[in-house]
Amino acid sequence: MSQLVREGLTEAQYQAKYEEFLAKIDSGRKIEADDWMPDDYRNQLIKLISMHSVSEIMGALPEKEWVPKAPSLRRKLAIMAKVQDEMGHGQLLMRVAEDLVAEYGKSREDLLEDLFTGRLKFHNVFHMEAPSWADAGVIGWLVDGAAIITQTMSLDTSYGPYSRALYRICAEEKFHAQHGESIVLALAEGTEQQRQMLQDAVTRWWPALLMFFGPPESATTIKSNQEQNMRYKIRSQTNEELRQIFFDKYVPRIFHLGLTLPDPTIHYSEEEGKWIYQQPDWEEFKKIVKGGGPRSVQRLDLRRLSYEDAVWVRDALLGNKVAI
Amino acid sequence: MSQDKAKTPFDVYEVFSQRSSTSPFIHQFSLLAPNHEVAMSMARENFLRRDNCVNLWVVKRDDVYVLPPEERESLERLDNKAYRETKGYGDLQSKWRAHRERYEAQHGPVKKEV
Repeated sequence: MSQLVREGLTEAQYQAKYEEFLAKIDSGRKIEADDWMPDDYRNQLIKLISMHSVSEIMGALPEKEWVPKAPSLRRKLAIMAKVQDEMGHGQLLMRVAEDLVAEYGKSREDLLEDLFTGRLKFHNVFHMEAPSWADAGVIGWLVDGAAIITQTMSLDTSYGPYSRALYRICAEEKFHAQHGESIVLALAEGTEQQRQMLQDAVTRWWPALLMFFGPPESATTIKSNQEQNMRYKIRSQTNEELRQIFFDKYVPRIFHLGLTLPDPTIHYSEEEGKWIYQQPDWEEFKKIVKGGGPRSVQRLDLRRLSYEDAVWVRDALLGNKVAI
Repeated sequence: MSQDKAKTPFDVYEVFSQRSSTSPFIHQFSLLAPNHEVAMSMARENFLRRDNCVNLWVVKRDDVYVLPPEERESLERLDNKAYRETKGYGDLQSKWRAHRERYEAQHGPVKKEV
C-alpha cells in the first residue's frame, strides 16, 4: 500500500510533508520514531538496522562456541563478556527496527522470519570460517575494528533512536577490539607456530575485511542506495572512504607485527593520497551475502538451534506450562 | 499471559537508571518483556553490565504520555529570557567596580587588604 493511500494524503500534502522532513534533517535535527517520515527513508532504515541487528546476533552465536576452547580463564571471561555485549547490541537494534516496522503491522518475529527465508541478509564476515583461536583474535581486532569505523560514521545519523543505540554500541565495541588486539599480540609475541596461526588467520580474513565495507562507488548496483542514504543523512561517508580509513588504521599495524597481506600491490600512494589495493571478487561477495558463503548454512542452523533450544526460556517468561 | 496474545505477548518497557544518588534518572533505552519483573532483570543485563547504578526504573511505554510530534516545535525557546538567566545581568560586576574605585579615590579603602 502506498504511503499516500495508507495515510490518506493528497499528492500536494505529501510534498509539503516531504519538504518539511528534508528541511528538518538538513538543519541537523533528528527524526524520532513517531515523527512523520517518507516510506523510502523508513525502508532504508529498516534494511540497514535490521541487517545490523541480526549481524550482531549471527556473529555472537559462533563466537560463544569459543568459550569452552578459549585458552585461559581470563580469555573465557572476556569472550563471554563480548558475546553478551553483541547479543545486547542485537537487542538494542532490534528494538529500533521493530519500532520502524510497526507502521507496517510487523514485529520482530517477522524480521527474524525474514532471516530464515533469506530476505534479511547478515554481514559477509559471519558467513566465513573461523577455524583457529587466531581467527577469534583477528575477528575481534579487525572485524570489530572495521565495525567501529562504520558505526562511528553513523553516530551522527539523522535517525535519533539509531544514533542513541550506536553511542552505546561503539563504547562497548572498543573493548571488543582491545580484547582482539590482546589475543593477536599474545600470538604475535609467541612461538613460531603461534605466529604462523596468526598469519594464516590474517591471510584468510583479508578478502572478507575488504568486502565488509561494500563495493566501491563505481559498482553501479549499490550506488543509488548509498546516495539516497547520504541525502537522508543516514550515513555520511561512502564505502570506499570507510575502507580507506580502515587501511590507514590497520595496514601499518599489520606490517609492524611482521605479518604480510595476501595482496602484494597494497601501498599508500602519496600522489593520489590514498591506498592502492587489489579489489576482492565482488561477484563472490554477492554470492556470500545471498547465503552461498562457506559457513552460511551452518550459521543459520546455529541460529535456528539456539531459537529452538531456548523455547523453554520464553515459555517460562510467559508463565506457560511446558511439556517435559 | 494467554495464548490470544500469542504473536507478540511482550510489551515495550522504557528503562531509566540513576548513576549516583545526586544524579538525575537518565533514559537508557527500551526493551521487550512480558512483565515488570522480567523487564527489571533484563534492564540490568542489557544496560548495566559496566555502568554504576544506584536505582532503576522500568515503565511500560503505553503508560508514558508523550508530547505529539507536531507540538514539539513549540518547545523551542524564544531568545528573550535574559531576565531569567545570569547572562542577563552581566553589567553588575563593572558597575560595582566603578563605584568602589570612585569611593577609594576620595577616601581610600574601607577595609585595609591583609
